[in-house]
Amino acid sequence: MKTEDVTVERVELQINGETISVDVKPAALLLDVLRELGLQGAKRGCETSHCGACTVLLDGRAVHSCVVLALRAEGKEIATIEGLGADGELHDLQKYFLKFGALQCGYCTPGMILAGKALVDHNPKPTLQDVRTALDGNLCRCTGYTSIFNAVLAYAESRGKE
Amino acid sequence: MFNVIGRPIERVDGKSMVSGRAVYGVDVRLPGMLCGKVLRSPIPHGKLLHIDVEKARKLPGVKAVITAKDVPSRRFGFAIQDETIFAIDTVRYVGDAVAAVAAVDEETAEDALGLIDVEYEDLPAVFDPEKACLDGAPLVHEEMTSYLPNRGRSPTWKPVPGTNIIHQAVHAKGDVEAALAKSDFVFEDTFRTSQIHHCYMEPHAAVAQVESGKITVWSCAQEVFPIRSNLANLFGVPESSLHIIATKVGGGFGGKIAPRLEQHAIALAWKTHKPVKIVMTRPEEFTAAAGSAPAVVYIKTGVQKDGTLKAREMRFIWDTGAYSEGLPPSNRALKDGIGPYRLPDFKITTTLVYTNKLRATPLRGLGVPESTWAVESQMDMIAHRLGIDPLEFRLKNALDDGDTNSVGDPVYSIGLKQCLREAAMEIGWGKPKGKNIGRGLALISKTPTTTGSISGAYVHFNEDGSAQVLVGASEIGQGSLVALSQIAAEELGIPVESVAIVSADTAVCPFDQGTFSSRVTLYTGMAVKTAAAEAKKQLLEIASQMTEIPERDLEIDQQKIISRKHPELNLSFREVIERAHTNMKPILGKGWAGGKGDWPGLPHKMQGKEPTPGSKYGAQAVEVKVDEETGVVTILKMASAHDAGQTVNPLALDGQIVGGSVMGMGYALYEKIQFEDGKVINPSFMDYKIPSSHEVPEIVPIRVEVPLPEGPFGAKGAGELAGLGVAPAVANAIFDAVQVRIKQLPLEPETVLDAIERKT
Repeated sequence: MKTEDVTVERVELQINGETISVDVKPAALLLDVLRELGLQGAKRGCETSHCGACTVLLDGRAVHSCVVLALRAEGKEIATIEGLGADGELHDLQKYFLKFGALQCGYCTPGMILAGKALVDHNPKPTLQDVRTALDGNLCRCTGYTSIFNAVLAYAESRGKE
Repeated sequence: MFNVIGRPIERVDGKSMVSGRAVYGVDVRLPGMLCGKVLRSPIPHGKLLHIDVEKARKLPGVKAVITAKDVPSRRFGFAIQDETIFAIDTVRYVGDAVAAVAAVDEETAEDALGLIDVEYEDLPAVFDPEKACLDGAPLVHEEMTSYLPNRGRSPTWKPVPGTNIIHQAVHAKGDVEAALAKSDFVFEDTFRTSQIHHCYMEPHAAVAQVESGKITVWSCAQEVFPIRSNLANLFGVPESSLHIIATKVGGGFGGKIAPRLEQHAIALAWKTHKPVKIVMTRPEEFTAAAGSAPAVVYIKTGVQKDGTLKAREMRFIWDTGAYSEGLPPSNRALKDGIGPYRLPDFKITTTLVYTNKLRATPLRGLGVPESTWAVESQMDMIAHRLGIDPLEFRLKNALDDGDTNSVGDPVYSIGLKQCLREAAMEIGWGKPKGKNIGRGLALISKTPTTTGSISGAYVHFNEDGSAQVLVGASEIGQGSLVALSQIAAEELGIPVESVAIVSADTAVCPFDQGTFSSRVTLYTGMAVKTAAAEAKKQLLEIASQMTEIPERDLEIDQQKIISRKHPELNLSFREVIERAHTNMKPILGKGWAGGKGDWPGLPHKMQGKEPTPGSKYGAQAVEVKVDEETGVVTILKMASAHDAGQTVNPLALDGQIVGGSVMGMGYALYEKIQFEDGKVINPSFMDYKIPSSHEVPEIVPIRVEVPLPEGPFGAKGAGELAGLGVAPAVANAIFDAVQVRIKQLPLEPETVLDAIERKT
């Protein structure tokens, strides 16, 4: 199919608390639409929904945006890594990633942070096993995961103390 | 005591990474940028009879379709110049580049690829490296002997004319045959490994722009300067016409050391006069990028009754696939092949063979994972046969201070035995264990790179008094930017926050061979230290002129110049730098470090041809459980002890140790690129499994710090070490658990189960 033959639909996406109108093709993937909008923290790593580098939150749930149609995201709250933190301050989980050295090349990091955040938002006292399960859809080739587990657990503990 | 060295300082580039703002190769966007795609051969070996691109050219949105006819026909290559931009007459593997397209978007570019008609004539192909060595095997490169080596990379290149053997080399000491004949026992075994993939999370990505004859490339490259020289030579332009900027690199592990798609992006940008971006898909990564160099390792060891090693003979057959980037791993095995042991007589032969498959390239430890797999497995077999504890057997023969290593250099600054003892203790070596539980050990060592590798650094000061460091080596995730900032800060006596660092931009940074072989902390680090020392000296000279206090009485404290003799002195860096500027004598410290004998401060006379300061040592210990019903091996615990010299940053070092251990676990247990008639049949993360969050066991990183006198503040570096010994340690633990010996990687359940069944 040629570009000009495809119908384009205007959708209103709620991204990081803002409403953004965008023209999308019916088959457009949320990942591509976000990256086109300049939100490039979500990465493509595999095209088969196995690596999780494209993870974003939809209504607070971690999803692989490379397999979500942009049209399907209408009416849902989309959160990307760029929306984390406020007023130039990092979100606490981002700080714990830095503190624990839970990133090396950083390519998987936005996805890992969002998957970790979704876990702790839903389960404020996760066990190590809970963290392993929550991050099972996110691959990392650099860190060996341990520092990531520690960062997420420390963040959950710090929130529990508040 | 150090101020900042050895402290767990957060990454200086970390904030942009955790907030999604770091710009990787895949993120680069330029106005008017086109999307490039490469058409690749679907057959493993064939004549290229005809290419028709007309239909593709006519597709609306397509801006260029190019083939070998449109680009320079010069050969290029990382080690040997055996490759062209596009296949000219022959395709040599499923994945060989045949044509490329630039179009307004990805979809159009992909559609255009489908419209290119290529007519091939199948040629007989060869996939097995041992069969490829036989007389009458189909030749992968008929014109091999006309190729040229790439300057500096392969000074000892020796092809065997009329065969697929692109390189053969021998390294020997003493008389191995006589020594084997005199040994009480001789052990002979053959071990095999599989080709694995680097699986960096960011696929290869490059953007090229050509304007007024100047080429600019943004690429997730590990080595910007060598890649620039390679490309300059290929396109027939001087290096000064090529500007390469490393973006953030989403993992490398050796996979991003050579031009992979930069040449296609440049050719398309040249043709279209527009910036062109190419990003590999994940299947393309598995089928057309590169993997490790798998080996068949024959090993024969002579040993005395009391467990003293006498002699070792090793023969490696390396499968380099269709192009010769497997040469560095094959040469590396000459140096490190026999392992970190006292061996008065040895002989190592390596044979690098072309096959019609995905190419090999260096992968984290290049060649040493394969040699360690053989040596450390056999060491265990010998220990059991002699009835000696594998730990004691290793300790008895391991290199120590005052020994001579395999390249003839004196051994010093070595924490090898301590690494082994500590790792073994951590997993409860010698303690009672349950049924089907086993423990295994492996020693690890690697000598530093010797490919004439040079690193430079410049240090100057910004007007605000902060130090500005410029280095040419890429940060590929290991934390070199923070480590190098710490080294500069320590030397200058300022906090890390007062150091700004820029890296891997050929127009701005001093020359550096790049990021490979665990060399950046050591070489670039030493260059930074030297440059910072020179900058400090210049700073104090000016301060001395300003204050009329002798330099020897001046000190640096938190970006201020102070003096104990003159407590009233309070001179800021900013003031000194202003003076330097008004005097028209700006401060600039330069530092260089590298191999080939010009290592700064090297106190030892090197006996070998190539000096080897900065050998790294370590030991791996694992505890496993083997399910006798299914053959599934579960790693319960890993302890990885490393003598990386003085730790620069424990967060980064532990990250290398734990991350390397987990990569080693994938290599040990399940990673394997699978081929069917030369075609990769598992080109996705669904079918090619890497360790995920579920499988990671408890991992204990152990730092054994024996400072290296020539290293920056005693550091040695550590990037590759942790992955090297996992596979043999696991195989040894499997033997300990269920008494079966497996000599083929990976240690898959079917293989283990088969061995268990054959035993009973």
